[in-house]
Amino acid sequence: MTRAADTEATEILRKQLPLPGWSDLTAPYWQHAAEGRLVIQRCRQCGVHRWEPVEICYACHSWDWDWDPVGGAGTVYTYTWADMPREPGADLVNLAVVELDGTEGDPVRLLTWVEGADRESLRCGLPVQVAFDPLGDGLGVPYFRPRSITAP
Amino acid sequence: MHGGPGTWLRGRAAVAGFGHTRYGRRGELSAAGTIPLVVEAVLGACEDAGIPPSELDGFSSYSGDSADAARLATALGIDELRFTAMGWGGGGGGMGGAYLYAAMAVATGQANYVAVTRGVIQPPEARFGSFAGMAVQRYPAMTSPGQAFALAARRHMHEFGTSIDHFGEVAINARLNAASNPDARFRDPITMEDHHSSRLIADPLRLFDFCMESDVGACCIVTSAERARDLRQPPAYIAGVSMGAPRRWGGGHFWFPQTGGTGYQMAPQDFTSAGHRTIADNLYANAGMGPGDVDVALIYDHFTPMVLMKLEDYGFVEPGESGPFVADGNIRRDGSLPVNTHGGNLAEVYAHGMTHVFEAVRQMRGTSPNQIEGAEVALVVAGASPAPSGGLLITKDGGARP
Repeated sequence: MTRAADTEATEILRKQLPLPGWSDLTAPYWQHAAEGRLVIQRCRQCGVHRWEPVEICYACHSWDWDWDPVGGAGTVYTYTWADMPREPGADLVNLAVVELDGTEGDPVRLLTWVEGADRESLRCGLPVQVAFDPLGDGLGVPYFRPRSITAP
Repeated sequence: MHGGPGTWLRGRAAVAGFGHTRYGRRGELSAAGTIPLVVEAVLGACEDAGIPPSELDGFSSYSGDSADAARLATALGIDELRFTAMGWGGGGGGMGGAYLYAAMAVATGQANYVAVTRGVIQPPEARFGSFAGMAVQRYPAMTSPGQAFALAARRHMHEFGTSIDHFGEVAINARLNAASNPDARFRDPITMEDHHSSRLIADPLRLFDFCMESDVGACCIVTSAERARDLRQPPAYIAGVSMGAPRRWGGGHFWFPQTGGTGYQMAPQDFTSAGHRTIADNLYANAGMGPGDVDVALIYDHFTPMVLMKLEDYGFVEPGESGPFVADGNIRRDGSLPVNTHGGNLAEVYAHGMTHVFEAVRQMRGTSPNQIEGAEVALVVAGASPAPSGGLLITKDGGARP
């Protein structure tokens, strides 16, 4: 996959946190998400997964890597609620660190968010599964939902 | 003679004087920029130390301070510039490094008098720690340091049962100490009920878990121990100073867009820390001391939970035990480890840790508004932040060097 031209969708990715931004390096992450796949960089030489995306392996320093489709199951490691949003009246949203299951090397922890959980149900240790929001222009945005409300 | 890595510097440098502007609320002193604030602070520090400003020959700062050495040297009319340093690291974490560079410079003769400076202004268009680039509100976004440290706090609560009562005690203690500090911005005591009823900002953090943005210029003069002994004030010796971060700490609990989110890759025991575990180990080794030697601790307190985690990082308690430790009154003035006897960032002023060094110096001189009787060793802990952060051990006795 190659980088798409700048569009309204990529402008959103450029400006948004907690996502890894929009660049030649990260474009396939968003393109795979449009097709319902969560991909994480994996070193072809030593096999570790790594996040955020970088050119050179932190473990063996190889430049040789690929995007690895991971299952998208994970666990909420920690979270916060944006109780004082930038814009008054905005919906209450959370930020969550999700640790992915089944990766190699240092744990892969994404800063993301969990939809379908409220202040009572969102907790450390909550099992979650990736879901995707179509962004248009062949791009998608991964986020997470509690596994209990995700179809198997 | 030295006892291991880092020990050569032990006791060879000292803080000879400190100075600061009035402690202003956010935006209050911003109009003229940082240069006049820092110049005023440097002149005050020179007066305190009893040296003519023209004899300064070095500058050291951190966090990308906008009062750069070239302008300061010119504005102060110093005779000759011999040393400058600007540390990496975010926010107040870089303060440890700024003192390390200064101490190394004066101990090795690269400079005679180094001004460690920090000028903080918070004009509305450039508030510190307010992240840029959030124009689109379609998705959740990390927009403030409070959210970053809330992630650490929540995980600490999950693993160890730490509670908002423990955060509240840190805030209450800061206000109690500020009440007797005439320079402090927030001198009204607060209760646990006040803390718990203050508004949620980044769950689990509330208003009184946050320090308040300030405008301030601050300076310490670092010189060699030999020179310091001939100056106006009793030296406050730098028995140890270290900087660093644990493996894959990176940006710590922050996620920055595009520019170095490092993805929360630190080890689990470091995720529930302030990132000071390795700094503390090196600092104690540098100084030939341990946590039991510390009489008073001045701990960077931008957010209350990070004080708890630093008590663990610096070995006053085991990981996870800081909550009960503060709940038992240990960090009060009459406790086993008085913490932030000046009021800290939370209640005195948010000067990115510089006033924590001031208070360490006052405690060694015996001039603190909340003087700890017999205090001879003060620990200063810089911010929890993107790498590197740092710490200092300040002593009254200059004879610690082997």
